Amino acid sequence: MANIGDKFAEHFVVSADIHEGFIAIFGDRHPLHTDARYAVARGFQSEVMHGNILNGFLSYFVGECFPDREVMILSQEIKYQRPVYLGDRLTLEVEVIDVHHSVNVIELACKFRNEIDSKIVASARINVGRTSVKET
Amino acid sequence: MAEILETLNRIFQDVVDDKNIILKRETTAQDVDEWDSLNHITFIVAIEKHFKAKFTTAEIRSWKNVGDMCDSIARLA
Repeated sequence: MANIGDKFAEHFVVSADIHEGFIAIFGDRHPLHTDARYAVARGFQSEVMHGNILNGFLSYFVGECFPDREVMILSQEIKYQRPVYLGDRLTLEVEVIDVHHSVNVIELACKFRNEIDSKIVASARINVGRTSVKET
Repeated sequence: MAEILETLNRIFQDVVDDKNIILKRETTAQDVDEWDSLNHITFIVAIEKHFKAKFTTAEIRSWKNVGDMCDSIARLA
């Protein structure tokens, strides 16, 4: 089980495939996410990527990158602090900030930084529980 | 002790998102439909965070009802 203070990092690119795949699967074609002129008229540089794409990155991190494979996300809170645009490269920084040994739960503090200016674009807290094989 | 029970009740209501549930000392997980294994984990984590305490697995397994939880928390104070 992870220890308080353990740190991890992972890199992501918000690619056209991810953006288009998200829209194809979930159907959110709001012009803020799909129409550059609409987004620029509202003060953004271009189409703003769906915030929930970052949730997908968090899911990938817990499911595929976290060293403990017997894991499941129990809860997650995320704050979107700056817009993310198509093609942005993000670094996900994760730190174990609490461990509840009694119920095998760890609490992760997560930050997404834009690699262009190092500014935080989103931060999240995730409670991760451990799965176990059911005895038969 | 009544304060601890009241706090546990409030935490549990938040966990299961149901303000109508009232925990009593004699309440067990079997008495509350929403008290499943996942909510139990979330409940314990929320209790540990609220009371800034950590329980052991053995201690949690020894709890037979909400009253036992209250007694454990009271001993931490």
